[in-house]
Amino acid sequence: MNSAQPFFDFTSVWSSMPILLKGFAIAMACATVAIIIAILLGLIVALMRLSRVKILRWIAFIYTQFFRGIPLYVLIIWVYFGLAIAAGVNLPAIPAGIITLALLNSGYLSETFRSGILAVNKGQIEAGMALGLSRRNVMLHIVLPQAFRVIIPPLGNQYVDAIKDTAILSIIGVPELMRESKALANLYYRPFEFYTFAGLLYLFAVLVVSRGVSVLEKKLSAHSAQTTVIIDVLN
Amino acid sequence: MSSPVSAPDALAPDFLKLVGVSKTFGNHRVLDKIDLAVSEGEVLVIIGPSGSGKSTLLRCINFIAAPDEGEVIFQGHSWKAMSSKYNFLANRKYEQKLTVLRSEIGMVFQNFNVFPHMTAAQNVMLGLTKVRKQSKDNARKAAVEALSQVGLAEKVDQYPEKLSGGQKQRVAIARALALQPKVMLFDEATSSLDPELVNGILEEIRRLAKAGMTMVVVTHEMNFAFQVAHRIVFMDQGRIVEIGTPDQIRKTTEPRTRSFLSAILN
Amino acid sequence: MNSYKFDWAVIDKYLPELLKGLWITLEVSLVGMAIALIFGLLLAMGRLSPLRLTRSVANGITQVFRSIPLFVMLFWVYYGLSLKFHVLFTEFQAGALALGITGGAYMAEVFRGGLLAVDPGQREAAMAMGISKSTTFFHVIFPQALRVVVPPSVNVYVGLLKGATIVSVIGVSDMIYVAQYVSLQTFTPFELYSVAGIVFVALTVSISGFAWMLERRLGRGRSE
Ligand SMILES: Nc1ncnc2c1ncn2[C@@H]1O[C@H](COP(=O)(O)OP(=O)(O)OP(=O)(O)O)[C@@H](O)[C@H]1O
Ligand SMILES: [Mg+2]
Repeated sequence: MNSAQPFFDFTSVWSSMPILLKGFAIAMACATVAIIIAILLGLIVALMRLSRVKILRWIAFIYTQFFRGIPLYVLIIWVYFGLAIAAGVNLPAIPAGIITLALLNSGYLSETFRSGILAVNKGQIEAGMALGLSRRNVMLHIVLPQAFRVIIPPLGNQYVDAIKDTAILSIIGVPELMRESKALANLYYRPFEFYTFAGLLYLFAVLVVSRGVSVLEKKLSAHSAQTTVIIDVLN
Repeated sequence: MSSPVSAPDALAPDFLKLVGVSKTFGNHRVLDKIDLAVSEGEVLVIIGPSGSGKSTLLRCINFIAAPDEGEVIFQGHSWKAMSSKYNFLANRKYEQKLTVLRSEIGMVFQNFNVFPHMTAAQNVMLGLTKVRKQSKDNARKAAVEALSQVGLAEKVDQYPEKLSGGQKQRVAIARALALQPKVMLFDEATSSLDPELVNGILEEIRRLAKAGMTMVVVTHEMNFAFQVAHRIVFMDQGRIVEIGTPDQIRKTTEPRTRSFLSAILN
Repeated sequence: MNSYKFDWAVIDKYLPELLKGLWITLEVSLVGMAIALIFGLLLAMGRLSPLRLTRSVANGITQVFRSIPLFVMLFWVYYGLSLKFHVLFTEFQAGALALGITGGAYMAEVFRGGLLAVDPGQREAAMAMGISKSTTFFHVIFPQALRVVVPPSVNVYVGLLKGATIVSVIGVSDMIYVAQYVSLQTFTPFELYSVAGIVFVALTVSISGFAWMLERRLGRGRSE
């Protein structure tokens, strides 16, 4: 061991801070955009699964099974190095990464939404119908707002997973935290320091999000007497 | 109190009439060819043992549970179960039309079913804005008015969580009444209430009866039923066993009705 | 213009190699799961310890390792740890260790839930009958905890199996690695990755389905 060099040396990490933070910001942005798209897609798929039309239910079921079953790494390689090449399209890395992440998360979220919707007391739906509300309005104003509360914790978990999953986007060249850390670790030959620091940044993001979710949950559960039917939506 | 008795098979343009209404869950026939006519301003009370189909009957009137067979005639218009089971678009269209029927018929449930994520006023406003297409301001005024009518002027902006069972049920009543329905359906509106709160809600129903509201009321409160009903229907196993004025029912010789009454009155 | 030539025959030709790669993924994930079981049990016991310090440390470790992406963990172990402490992990060992650490943090949660789920009255009832402590644990507590623990453990395993697909980035010759390698020569990445994807979906969906079935089975006699 070179005695001139200290055992732990975070100076190179410190001096690379702007690059690392930029990578971190890109990772967070990718996760955030992906989860927003995933929420929309997941909601559509959940509604399809609850539809009265059998074929829609089937499509939604297969969609869910597929995206819950496929590993992100395999999906992203398939999309970026398989599909894009076979189709002859030049996919930019960031959109490709975001879309892949969104598709994957939408599979999980559709299940979350579905169980959240089913957790809403049936009497609520009947009361809405009895008022003469259309199915759409019952869904929009009665079911979804109540489902939303039950959904917040698993939604938060999904966001956390998405943040962690952005590390895999480095594979296709998205300049996020992990990609930058790899490059810098090789450059300075300090993998332990750089990966430790990267890990700490992810930890920080996860803690902040978890905290935010529990605050939001408390705030929203302030008035939800009838939604105490706790159904296991965490699965 | 007068008792306008109308025969169920009358050809007169009845206000509200069920003709041959049946409903089956799986292979359990919960309603079996129910014929029933309600005239305008009548208070009809339905009694019967648990599982006899009382709730299902009410829910068939406003098609929250669509009848499998038969029709519901309301103000001269006939409503039937959608026959084209596999025609999605036709179903949707019919579903939209049903909202018209439902908005004319108010319903109050045993377990209130107030919307927990909305204040009392918002609960009432939802139907006014979405069904009656009123502006927010007008709906708010009407909601405050409706809530004051049931004695909740002070609770207008409370969430249901902060309300007692009786107050929740009042919100539900105000919510239904705000749409100015032609008929009110009450399904055991006092059954989940603490005993001391029951009378308050019964009082509200009585008030409506005095005002001439047409009502179909399912209840186990027999004293109340005998006082307020024009006619009482006794149901058992999905059929109407007997219909009559409170006096007729009280003195009935029909064995099933008698045993039910003696069980419930003790 | 698109000049990609589809050639599904490569699948036939390289299927044995691909399956060999799949087997390696399974091996890595199973070894990782074994580590996760031990590590997770230790963490869970630490988290239920009467000592406050032990509890906080175990809680902290669980939180940290759950929050760090597996991908980062893999590089941290394979490049960071090995360079810093001069332990030369093989790619396989590093992969299994990273999976074991991350999986252990998840298993800690599962075990903790399982141990807490057993009604304390059960222990008391057994003791009241004069049954010894170890008999109580093995015949009363453990079987009941197992019912609660098994289905979510299978789900953790599915997570590790999916996670195990990334070990090819440090050079473990798993299925994706083989697919990458072969497609360099045949220029048929679409076919190869498609097959890899389908195989994984089939695998994870069937294991998840199994977990679901297990849950219903075991759930049966649970609430008496
Ligand atoms: N959605 C449903 N699916 C299956 N069976 C149902 C459904 N709704 C009602 N039933 C059955 O129909 C029968 C009648 O139910 P209903 O609720 O109408 O009875 P009820 O007279 O209102 O009883 P209670 O006094 O207990 O409220 C019962 O046996 C019930 O189990
Ligand atoms: Mg009932």
